[in-house]
Amino acid sequence: MVTAINDDMFSGLAIEDPYAYYGQLREEDPVHWNEKYNLWVLTRYEDVVWCTRHNEIFSSAVFKNDYRAPYPEVEESDMGLYDDVRKFFASWFIQHDRPVHMDMRRVLHGYFTPKSMEQWRPMVKSVIKDLLDEADEQGEMDIMRDFATPLPLFVIAQMMGMPYEDRKFIRMLAEKLLFIGRGDIGRMQPLHDGIYELIDYLSPVVEARIKNPEDDFISVLADGERKGIYTREQVVSNAILLLLAGHETTINLICNGSLAFMQHPDQWAALKNDQGDVVPPLINRATEECLRYDPPVKSIQRIAGEDVELGGKLIRKNDRIRWFITGANRDPEKFEDPDTFNINRWPNAHVGFGSGIHHCLGATLARLEGQEAFKALADRYESLNLETKEFDYQPSITFRSLKALPVTMN
Amino acid sequence: MAGKLQVTIDLNVCVGNAMCPHIAGKSFDLNDDRQGRVIDPDGDTRENVLEAAEACPVSAIMVVDAESGEQLFP
Repeated sequence: MVTAINDDMFSGLAIEDPYAYYGQLREEDPVHWNEKYNLWVLTRYEDVVWCTRHNEIFSSAVFKNDYRAPYPEVEESDMGLYDDVRKFFASWFIQHDRPVHMDMRRVLHGYFTPKSMEQWRPMVKSVIKDLLDEADEQGEMDIMRDFATPLPLFVIAQMMGMPYEDRKFIRMLAEKLLFIGRGDIGRMQPLHDGIYELIDYLSPVVEARIKNPEDDFISVLADGERKGIYTREQVVSNAILLLLAGHETTINLICNGSLAFMQHPDQWAALKNDQGDVVPPLINRATEECLRYDPPVKSIQRIAGEDVELGGKLIRKNDRIRWFITGANRDPEKFEDPDTFNINRWPNAHVGFGSGIHHCLGATLARLEGQEAFKALADRYESLNLETKEFDYQPSITFRSLKALPVTMN
Repeated sequence: MAGKLQVTIDLNVCVGNAMCPHIAGKSFDLNDDRQGRVIDPDGDTRENVLEAAEACPVSAIMVVDAESGEQLFP
């Protein structure tokens, strides 16, 4: 044993304070073989970046090529469900390697560039205004329920051309898909249900957009089918990916960032006193710091495509790997005072969106929503006051997700 | 005929998404850290270089008209 740390990454400590848990691993055994789940756990910034940039060694085709049982274990009788689940996730474009990944990504890439995303900023601002006006009438809100969740859901529903009235239904199904990052032994059933209900919901929409393209990204995906890059099944499953990834991550960015501001009143004051005298602007730097300090996504999985030595350890072909953004973003070898929330930090080469060829496709949209959300909060309120002392997180190895964040506003 | 270009990549920002060598391979490749590198600003067509800059997910590429000094992207 190189480290005394408990290998249960779903345990209370690892879920409540991943910075302590993965920080200790980074100090004691940065390329760690987790004996409980039989996989490599990477926590150092340099290693994570190196791995993301060596996509030919670390394969993203995890669900396609990994026939082993999932970890933690699931009910034996649910292995048939897992087979369907695995095939579904394997059809996501992010679950492919080059050259197929590049072809699939390029169909969508142009839609999500910084330049094309700017057109959505006025809409994002207007949704934020409506949500906060509503919250002001109450004088209090649960940031998670009333702000961080409805904002990105509204935005992604707009981009997909789905009616906003469907948002609660969409969220309910999305929550079933989030079981993918959890450890519950019975998680395959809700996951399987969520997948097939979403397929049923979106298939007719895809069908309609293939016949009559509109100005939304389901139509962009449908165009990928016309070009022979996506199959119909892949159009539907990737629409689900964008729907899910397009809001779950941003929810956590807004919630975790708001909490960081409440826990660091000096940084809240600094944002409120923004003189507009730095480039890039303070609100952009602040959003990057939120993405570094308490990132929405904790970890990413890969499978070794060949034997490779890393940090003096031999990772063998087909070994499972999970790297932790949570560890890398707090690495003192990369960041000065890594545990300090400093919204003026720049440059800030965090890996909140990953890095390399799989760098998050929706990063610009998440940034835009984060910037406008934090700016609106700072412009509108003298202070946000935490109305809880307990922070309960979803038991996910993938997402850093609060269950609730009640506040009052001044 | 359009004039020469001056192309720079901010390595503090570049995440190695590798779209630039894919789109304009005669102007860009990757360095040892697998971040973007300018090999010849005029190696590829102006159209491709600008498309590569626009496709960069973190806007790390700046393109300037070397003769007029006009910033073409971002």
